[in-house]
Amino acid sequence: MRVERTEAGVLVGAWPAHAERTALLEARGALLAWDVLADDPVPSARIHDLDRAADWLWEVYGTAAAAITSGAAEVTVPAEGDWRVRDACRVVAHLGWADAWWPASPTAGVPALDPALLRAELAVATGSVEHLLDAEDAVERALAAVGPFTADPAVDALAARLVALAEDYGVVLAEAAVPSRSSFALAAGGGEQAEGVTVLSGADAVDWALVPQGVVDAAADARWSLVRRQGSTFLEVAVSPGPRSGPPLAARFGQVEVALDDTDGLGRVTGRAPVPPTVLLLPPAQRVLTVYAPDFASPAAGPDPDARTRRAAIVARARSRVGSPTATLTERLAGRR
Amino acid sequence: MVSTVRTQAQPAEVALPRGLLIAQAWSALGDAVAPLSNPEGRPLARTVKLILDPLVLRPVQNPRFAAGAVGIEHVDALRDRITEAGPVLAATAAWFLVVKKERRKAGITDGNPQDLYFQRCYELASAHGDPRLDPAAVAGRAAAVLAEAHRREGPTLAGLRDFVTGHDAELTRLLDTAWAHPPVPRREPGPARPEAFLATCATTPDRALFAALVADSAGSRSAAELDLPGGARVRGLTDLDRPARPVLGHGAAKQNLPKPFDRSVVERLFGAVTSPLRDALDDVPALVRQEISRSAGPWQLADETGRVVLALGWEATVALVGGPPGPAGGATARLRLRWDREAYVHRALRMPSSMPDGVRADVDGVREAYQRRLWVRVHGRELRHDTVTADELWDVLDGVLRSVVLDQRDRLRSALERRSAGGPS
Repeated sequence: MRVERTEAGVLVGAWPAHAERTALLEARGALLAWDVLADDPVPSARIHDLDRAADWLWEVYGTAAAAITSGAAEVTVPAEGDWRVRDACRVVAHLGWADAWWPASPTAGVPALDPALLRAELAVATGSVEHLLDAEDAVERALAAVGPFTADPAVDALAARLVALAEDYGVVLAEAAVPSRSSFALAAGGGEQAEGVTVLSGADAVDWALVPQGVVDAAADARWSLVRRQGSTFLEVAVSPGPRSGPPLAARFGQVEVALDDTDGLGRVTGRAPVPPTVLLLPPAQRVLTVYAPDFASPAAGPDPDARTRRAAIVARARSRVGSPTATLTERLAGRR
Repeated sequence: MVSTVRTQAQPAEVALPRGLLIAQAWSALGDAVAPLSNPEGRPLARTVKLILDPLVLRPVQNPRFAAGAVGIEHVDALRDRITEAGPVLAATAAWFLVVKKERRKAGITDGNPQDLYFQRCYELASAHGDPRLDPAAVAGRAAAVLAEAHRREGPTLAGLRDFVTGHDAELTRLLDTAWAHPPVPRREPGPARPEAFLATCATTPDRALFAALVADSAGSRSAAELDLPGGARVRGLTDLDRPARPVLGHGAAKQNLPKPFDRSVVERLFGAVTSPLRDALDDVPALVRQEISRSAGPWQLADETGRVVLALGWEATVALVGGPPGPAGGATARLRLRWDREAYVHRALRMPSSMPDGVRADVDGVREAYQRRLWVRVHGRELRHDTVTADELWDVLDGVLRSVVLDQRDRLRSALERRSAGGPS
C-alpha cells in the first residue's frame, strides 16, 4: 500500500472514490475506510494524529504499522495474522454505510433493512472496538440509538448480547414494542389519468445524496413528461418510493420547481406544475430532472458521470449481501423482518 | 478465548506501541480476565483507563510506561508488570461478575457499572483475592460495594430548593451586592500569550506558561470583552445584549435550559446536584452563596484557572469560523481539522446538508455552541473542585468540540426522523 504524507497527516492506501461506496470508521487519531465495492479486508486510513493512532494501528496493519509510523512510502500488510479487531472494525463501518446508503429498491429487488435490527447490531459491534474509537462514549451513544427492538428466534443471540452490553454500560434500553415498519406506499392516490398529449418525456436517476435513506427507490429512475392539455403545458413527474417515509420531495426541471405531493395509482409519488410553453424549447442537455428533499439537501451543480455505473454496482453488491453468510445479520435478514 | 498477538519487532525499532504490548500481555492472561475484555479479547477501554493505568502500570510514577510508544528496553518490564498482576486481575474480573449479579438482583440500573465498580473490584481482589476463596463472605462484600457506589451523599435538588425558598430575602440581597460592585475589567492584554500555550498544548503542554497565564489573570482580562454590548452573546453565553443579574429561581428542567448567563442560580446548580458526582460538592448554603458571587465574576466563574480555559477555548476556536488556524499541530489548527473532518463525515454518512430554519438555528453557530459547552464543563468542574490542569487542557478542548459535533449529528438525525414521521419540525 502506498503511504503519502501531507500537511494534514498520513494517507495509507487509496481512499474510496465516492462517499456512497465508503464504509467509514472514526478511530482515535485516524479515519479508516473500506470500499464496499471491493473485497479488500484492509482499509485505507487518513491519519491525522499519528501519536494517538500508533496505539492501535498495528491491529489494522500488523507489522506494517511500524513502517507507516516511521516514514515508509510503501508498505506490505501481511495476510497472516490475528485480524479479529480489524474485522470487527469493518463490521462497524459497514453497518454505518448500510445505515446511510443501503440501496433499498423494490424494482431492483433489494429489500429494506430493518432499522431497529441495524441499530442493535451496530451497538453490539461498537462494543467490540470501543478501545480504538474517537468518541469515548461511542457505546453509550450507540445503545441510546437502539429503538424498540423485538427479539425473534433469528436474532436471539444478538438480542442477548445487546442486553448484556446495555447492562455492562448501565444503559436502559428502549422498551420492546411491536416493530413499526412503514409498508410500501401502495395506497391508491387520485388515480386520475392525466389526459392530454405527451410532447416530451424522459427519465433520470435520483441522486442518492439529495434524499434521505430509503425514501426513494434507489434503482428506479424518476420520470418526467411535458403534457399539452387544453392549450396549457404541464410538467408531470413521478418517482418510485422506497421503504421509508420521509420529508416532502420536490423536483427541479430546468428552471421549474414542482412539489411531489401526490400519489398515483401505481403508488408512485407524483407532482404536476403548469409551465410556460418555452420549456418545450429547452435544449436536451437541460431537460434534466432532479428530485430532492428540500428539507434535506439542495440540488448541487456538477456532473457525476460515474453515478449510473457506480450505483448499479452498489445495488448489485447489496443484492448479493442479502442472505449471504458473510454479510452482517442485518443484511442477511433484509426483508424478512 | 486465549490468543496470541504476534509481533515481529524489526531491529531498527527502538519503541513499540503501548497498546500492542498491553494487548500481548493481556491475551496471555486468558479467559480469566474475559469479563474485563471485549469479544476480541482486548482489554476494554475502561479496563485500561480505570485499572491498568492507575493501578497496575501507574505511568505517573513510571513515565516509561506512559501513553504512546514504550522504549524497547522497557518492554519486558511492562509485560512483567501485567503478568504479575494476572492473579489480582483475574480476581478483579471474578468480583466484577459477582457485583454485576448482585446489582441485577437489587434492581439497580443507574450508573455505568464499569465506572462504578472496576476500581472497587480491584480493591476487593487485592484485599481478599478470588471471591471463590471465601464464598460465605461474597454476597456481603458485593452488597457493600453496591451500597458504597450508589450511596448518594451531597446536596440534593430538594435541599437546594428548600434553602433558596427559605432564604429568599437574604440571598436576593447577596445577589444585589455582588452585582452592585462588579470587578473592574482589565482590558489590556497581559504579558503571557494564550496563543503560545495553544501552539504546543496538544503534544507538549507548557505548564509554566499555563501557570503564568493564570497568575497574569489572562482569563479575567479576556472577560472584559463580555461586558461590551453583544460580547457575551456572540460567545453563546446569553441571549441578552449584556449579561443581566441572574434571579434566584426555583425550578429547573433538564431540557431547554436557558443559555448559561441567563440561568437562575438554581438552574446553574441543577446539573451538579442531580449528577452522580454530587458527593464532591460543598453543602447547599456554601454552594448557593458561592454561585451568587461566581455569577458576578469574570466569565461568571470563580477560579482564574477556569477563566483561562474559557479564554483559551475562545481563542482556539477562531479557525472554526474562518479565522487563522495558527501553527500546524497547534490546538487551533487541530480543532479546525476536526471540524473539516466532520464536514466529510457528514457527506459520508448522508447527513442532511440543508434543513428548515428551526433546526438550522440549533445546529449553526459552532463557536457559540462550543463556548457554551466549555463553560458548562468548566463550571461543573469548579463546583467539584476539580481544576483543569495544563496537561488535561488539550483533551478538554478537543473533547468539547467532539461532543458538540456528535450532539449536532444526533440532533440532525432526530429532526429528520421527526419530520419523516410527519410531526412538526
